[in-house]
Order: sequence, then structure tokens, then C-alpha cells
Amino acid sequence: MASSGCWKCLARPSGSLTSQLALRTPGVSAAFSTTTARAALPIKAKKPSQARPALKAKGSKTLRIKKKAPAKPSGKPPMPGERKAMRKRIVLSNTNALEVPMMDFNEHMVADPTMAGKVVALPGEVVDSLRAVEAFKVNQGWGLFRKPALLLREESAVLGQKMVAAEKNKEAVRLVIDGERGSGKSLMLLHALSAAFLRGWIVLSIPEAQDLCNASTEYAPLPGTNPTIYTQNVYTANFLAQIQKSNSVLQTLHVTKSHNLPIPLPEKTTLARLCELGARDPDISWPIFQAFWAEITGPARPPVLFTLDSLSFTMGLSAYRSASYELIHAHDLALVQHFVTYLSGEKPLPNGGAILGATSRSHAPVSASLELALKQALEKQQHGEIMTKKDPYGKKYDTRAEDKLKSVEVLKLKGLSKVEARGLMEYWAQSGLLRSRVDERLVTEKWALAGNGIVGEIERGVLRMRI
Amino acid sequence: MAAKPALRRRVLNISSKQFSTSTRSRAGIAAPEINFKNPTEAGGSDGEAPLFYARLVPDSPSYFTAQPVFTDDLLSLQNLLQRYASLPVVKPGEAPRVAWQTLAEYRNIVGEPVKATKYQRILEILHRLNHIHPSLMPAEVTSTLNQYKREVNPFKNTAKSPFIDEWGKALGVGRRKTSTARAWVVEGTGEILINGKTLAQTFGRVHDRESAVWALKATGRIDKYNVWALVSGGGTTGQAEAMTLAVAKALLAHEPDLKPALRRAGCITRDPRKVERKKPGKRKARKMPAWVKR
Repeated sequence: MASSGCWKCLARPSGSLTSQLALRTPGVSAAFSTTTARAALPIKAKKPSQARPALKAKGSKTLRIKKKAPAKPSGKPPMPGERKAMRKRIVLSNTNALEVPMMDFNEHMVADPTMAGKVVALPGEVVDSLRAVEAFKVNQGWGLFRKPALLLREESAVLGQKMVAAEKNKEAVRLVIDGERGSGKSLMLLHALSAAFLRGWIVLSIPEAQDLCNASTEYAPLPGTNPTIYTQNVYTANFLAQIQKSNSVLQTLHVTKSHNLPIPLPEKTTLARLCELGARDPDISWPIFQAFWAEITGPARPPVLFTLDSLSFTMGLSAYRSASYELIHAHDLALVQHFVTYLSGEKPLPNGGAILGATSRSHAPVSASLELALKQALEKQQHGEIMTKKDPYGKKYDTRAEDKLKSVEVLKLKGLSKVEARGLMEYWAQSGLLRSRVDERLVTEKWALAGNGIVGEIERGVLRMRI
Repeated sequence: MAAKPALRRRVLNISSKQFSTSTRSRAGIAAPEINFKNPTEAGGSDGEAPLFYARLVPDSPSYFTAQPVFTDDLLSLQNLLQRYASLPVVKPGEAPRVAWQTLAEYRNIVGEPVKATKYQRILEILHRLNHIHPSLMPAEVTSTLNQYKREVNPFKNTAKSPFIDEWGKALGVGRRKTSTARAWVVEGTGEILINGKTLAQTFGRVHDRESAVWALKATGRIDKYNVWALVSGGGTTGQAEAMTLAVAKALLAHEPDLKPALRRAGCITRDPRKVERKKPGKRKARKMPAWVKR
């Protein structure tokens, strides 16, 4: 064996050599025969730090305390998709909550201002339809009550009157619902949806514009379009399925026009069947949606309600990329473009109806153009003239969004009135959720603490922040 | 005795014509030299320097006591009281409230180690003199009392009582940490605006919202008043708790009888706690640097 030290230094063997020798001694000294030693695995030389733990590396002066290893998760991890299903689960009934005697929402209550402050139950078939169009959202507290109910407000009567007038005059209500966080914008959309279901309208609803614009669903360029339009076939197919499921009216309506579709369409096909065909095959969903829209806007059809929540997602660039790796504007997505075309009033609704958008104030991008348009529209409605001018140096405006939002109306939601707040709190008390006496003092206190009656804040203060 | 200033009399008028510096040093304790001039030449000639006499005569008979200035003071006050003892007095407790000089301040002025019990004797006389009826108070006594008064009378500093102006609004100011709040409270229906925003927009935490209107909530007046407030400085907690005090003070203008209830609710006393300053040799106010081996 060649020594690791040089021959001149034999008198003073190096440290590593001595340690090696010392470690090997049992094997070396015991064996007259070398077989066992050869057969055995060679003993590993220990690292110098392990051999002499007393010596530390120079320069390390600080105290080191050994950290504990992170705790290993115990139990079975959830299956793929289980968490999301749990997160998105909508519970509409709670058997622990008390039954509250109340009226069912009907088509006559839609535009009745005297009903303000009353809580009405949603009829079963409307609940099914609303569930199909995903109008109920997870954080709205539906699971606290025996059955879904709706507070009728002054603003909902205003919206209802507009819808009734539109139905009568065969015009389109083009409206954006705005208000601060928790002021009930999505619930106002739900009110409009249920009113439309009750009055036999055809209802289309995009429950969350975010799903369309944040690049989470498939997209493909539509051939023969310049500038290129992108369709979202899977989303559109699902959208058609929702339309078919929620609108029972479609069973009675038949295709009357001839369409240039990739699949043959039998005579006397119902519109429900048409939607089903589109829902079945995502590749043809967009042409089928167009055919469906052409049918429902044809002569002698019921009015149409088209709603979209979280409007500001659609008023700027989407998260999708074009072939040249540029961000696609949300208005180049076929479904969004379809919505904003009707929201802007470029195309009319010949049978009347409503195109409603609602803003989102908690988790949505800020669209400078939308903010400006809403402010100006509100000023025009209240004072008859526009007082806020566009910032001449502002760079965040989106010209395409501005064009589309020029002539929309705004429904600005404020806090509840005290009468409405009282109606709501009495309903909670009857459901067994609010245990104190509902009187003037309690109502005003909760109303004031909730920022002058912001309904979401009242709910937070009364139902969720119970100590 | 009467014309003699009670305190600050240790620097005497010394003739600038004194030729010896040693005389000057003795001036504080000794009476001026006795002029034994010839009465015949005493009238006109002043060009002649006075003679220097080796024997010094003490200024005051109490020179040989342990605390001569104190003794002088006490004697002069006793004398004063003796002379005016017959003047009518006001009832006990009805005399104007006066803050006399503290023992430390008095010691500082006279430059003698006066004991507290001794000073108490002076205070007793001062107290008695102060009770002489104000309409008959002699000017001499007033000037003497003034010499023993503290520079600033803390009893004159009274809190301004809040008021309601002609539009029915009362202003209250409150502070907490580094925040300041001004709240205008009017009779109303429970609407609250802070810096032009609603309560929910101003404070994200429900706890802070409750703090801001705690004065109204604790007294059950939330549906009877409207609040319009301006808050600045500090963070959300500070602003909310500054609002508590501001609203409480303004509410007191409307309903002064609520003071005990508001005090029980903790809306009257200002919380004096502030951020403690950082100290050298420490990471923060109290935190020591980490222990290092060697």
C-alpha cells in the first residue's frame, strides 16, 4: 500500500494515516488468511470532522441551535379535484335553521316598490335554474338558512321596473351595477336572473368573467377573422349546457331559420336540443352558440337576459397570448366580444331584454376606463352633465373599453335603508341566527357599524362576527 | 423690616468706591461699615474714600443661626401675620387656591439646607395670610405672598368646558398614540363619516369600527347622533381609539350627565402610552442583542 505521506516524513505519520491504520487494525491483525478481509466490505474512512468532533471549523462563532425537522403530514391526502369540489360546493339548505314563514317570489313582486324591505323565498324551479347558471356563490352564506331567500330592496324594484318596461317596449336595458364591496351587486344580478326566470325570459349568465379572461380555459383562433377572434370552445360548450339546463322555455321553442352548421340539423329541433348538441361537442360549440343566438333574437321570441359578473376583467387585456406572443385583448375573445357588443348597444335586442354587468370590488383588476365611464354615467344620470373629465396624461385608459362603455347606464348600489336592514335582521332572527331582540337600537347600531348599511358588512357584523 | 425684600436679598447694594476686594466678598454677610466721619465735614466732601475697618458687623441678628436667611424669612412672616392677624378671614377652603414654592425650590433660592418641618412653618403662615379676606388684603401681604408663589399656578389651568355651537354641533378632540381625531357630533340618526368615508371604508377591522363609536355604543346613543370626523396620524388602531375620546368629549357637550357612564366605558381618560424610545446598546427599546459566544 502506498502511503499517503511522503517517504521523508515517515517519522511523523500524518493524522489521516494513523486514523486509517487504527481503524483497520482488527481486520489486519486478525487475518492470517486474507480472504475474509477481502470479502468484507472495505471500511469507509470517516470524515475528519466526525473523527474529531471537538475541533470546529475556524470562524464559526455564533451559537447554532439545531432546528427541528418539519412535521410530516399524517393521514391520506385528498384525491385530485377533491379540494376544489369542496371549495366550490354550494349548500343551499340547512336543516338546523328554523323555517321562516314568507311569501314566494313571483313575477308581480319584481317591480313592486312597496315590497322593499321584505324577504321572499325563491321558488324551487327558480332555485334549480339559478344553481344551473351558477348564480349562487360560495361566500354568500346560503348554507346558513333553511331555504334560499332574497331581500327585496328599493334598487331591485328600480331594476325590476326597467326590466318590465323593456319587456313591454321590446328594448334592451343596458346597465352596469356598481357599488362598494359587499353592497349586494352579485345579489342584484341574482335578483334580475330570478325575475327573468319567473317572467319566462331566456337567460344567459356568465357567473364570473375571470374564468373567461385569466387563461384558464382552452382557446383557439377563429378561422377567417381579421383581426383574429379567439373562441373558447370548452367554456362555450359548458355555457350552452348551462343555458339548456336552466331555461325550461327552450323546450317549447323550435329552430325556425336555416343555419350553416358543421352538423346536420333535423327539422323541428328544439332550441334545448340545439344547445345540447353544442354542449356535446366543444369543436362546434361556437357556431352552435351563434345559431342559438340568431334563433332567440329572431321574431316572436321571449326577451333575453344576458348577465356578466366581474365586468372589469373584460375591460382590458386578457391573460391569453396570440401566436406572436402578445397579450390578447379581452374584446378579441368571441364570447366576451359578443357580450360587450350588446352591452354597448351596437346591436339591438329585437325582442327586448336586458344586458347586465356587475363590477367586483374585492378581487378584480382596476380598469381606469370602466371607472371613468361609471363615474361619468352616474354624473349624467344625477346632474344631467358630465363633470369628470378624462385625465389627459392618463396612460391606463383602454380605448376599446371606452368605446363600448360610452352609453351604458349605471345602477349605483348604496347601503340598505334602515327599513330594509330591519327586514333582513328580522328574517335572521326568525331563522334562529340572530338571538337578540331586533329593535330600533340594534338595527341602527349594526347599520352604522356596517358603514351606513352596507349589506355584506351587516351580515359580517351580525352573523359571522359573533363572539 | 417691612420694606425689606423677603427673598433674593443676599446681593446688597455695595458702593463701587470700595477699594478693597475683600470687602466685596464680605458684603453678603456683613452690614456696611459704620461711617464715623467727622460731622463737620460729613456735609460736603465726598471725594475722600471711606476708611476701612477690620471689625465686621453682621447684617442680621440671625447671622449666627444655622440658617440665617430662613430665620429672617420666618421672622418677617411672623411679624407680618402678627400685624394683620385681626383682619377678617374667609372660610377655610374658600381662599384662592395657590401653589407655593416647593421645598426644593425654596432651598435653591435661599441656598441653605432647610428642613421640611421648618419650611412647613413658613407654609402654615402663608396659608393663614392667604385666608385674609381678598377685599381687605393689604398690598404688603400680597407682595410678600407673591414672592412665595410658584412661577406658574397649576390651579389656573382649568379644562375648557365643551359647548354646542349655533348649528347644534359639538366639537371633541381626542388623541391616542400619534393619532389625532376631531369629531363633530350633532343630533341625528346614526350616520357616521370619517374623513369623508363611511365607518366600513375607514376601518377594515370590525373591532376598530366599534372602538370609533364606542362612546355612543356604550351609552346606547348610536341612533341619536350623527358624527362627522377628521382623523390624522398614526395607524388604524390609534385613529380608532382617538375617535373614541373625541366622540365622547363631543357627546359630553350634549349630555354632561353621561360623564360617569363614559368613564366606566373608558372613554374619558386619555391613554398616555406611546412608543418607547430606542436605547443605545439595544436592538429596540428593551431588546438586547443576541448572545454571541466569545
